[in-house]
Amino acid sequence: MTMEATPFGMPSRKFAMWLFIIADAATFAAVLFAYGYVRFASPNWTRPFEFWPTIANGLLMTVVLLTSSFTMVAATVTARDGKQSRALGWLGATIVLGTVFAVLHVTEWVTMFHEGWSTATNPLGGSTLVGGTFFIITGLSLLHVVAGLIALVVIAGGYRSGRWDASYIETTGLYWQFVDVVWMFVFPLVYLLNAK
Amino acid sequence: MAWIGAMCIVAIEAGLAYAHMSMVVLIASFLLLAILESAIALRYFMNLKYEPPGLFWTLIPGFVFALLMLNHIWPDAVRVTALRFP
Repeated sequence: MTMEATPFGMPSRKFAMWLFIIADAATFAAVLFAYGYVRFASPNWTRPFEFWPTIANGLLMTVVLLTSSFTMVAATVTARDGKQSRALGWLGATIVLGTVFAVLHVTEWVTMFHEGWSTATNPLGGSTLVGGTFFIITGLSLLHVVAGLIALVVIAGGYRSGRWDASYIETTGLYWQFVDVVWMFVFPLVYLLNAK
Repeated sequence: MAWIGAMCIVAIEAGLAYAHMSMVVLIASFLLLAILESAIALRYFMNLKYEPPGLFWTLIPGFVFALLMLNHIWPDAVRVTALRFP
């Protein structure tokens, strides 16, 4: 039997992940485009975020997520070098940092709900689309982070038991880095652009 | 180094947010910095730098073309804010 060569000589799994990332990036781009147009079409748009606590919290979340990208790269490299325990350590660090990011995110949401924000209400009296766009965009991002955390836990378990090799960590790492790339656009456009 | 570079870009963005610039300049600056930051992540965190060039040319130009098309179609969404139930 003759096996057909994989595109670009890379594992099909990894190429499929790249295709998924591009498709998912288009989804986020569509949402951010919509946010941009809706925002400029709303004359009564309000800028609700004070530096403390919202922007400071967003900065902390950004630092945590960027650091998790660094630990994910370390996990990929050490796994490729066959250093299993080190790779698992870096994967554990990535999972912890991702969890911290998700907890900070949910805490922020809860605070905003207590202040009267929702997808359909604006306690400042301006356009209700402020809350609508904020919760939809950050919710989509949070959904990706949680999905990534679940994937990382599953992959770490499979790698630890020897069922899966380092290439699985590399492929999951691509997804995790993509989540970080998304946040690189969400933070300035959704948080900083709405800073008071 | 890539991590430090990304952190510096975040710090610049935070500084710009309080620099009392016009909204258009601010958005353009944020987009440019976010594209630069994501390019760093793509090259060094996602290892696109070390992948075959064909992968880049297969994925990225098509994606940019899709974004340009979105930019042509999406302005129609402005009508949404004017829609009212009868």
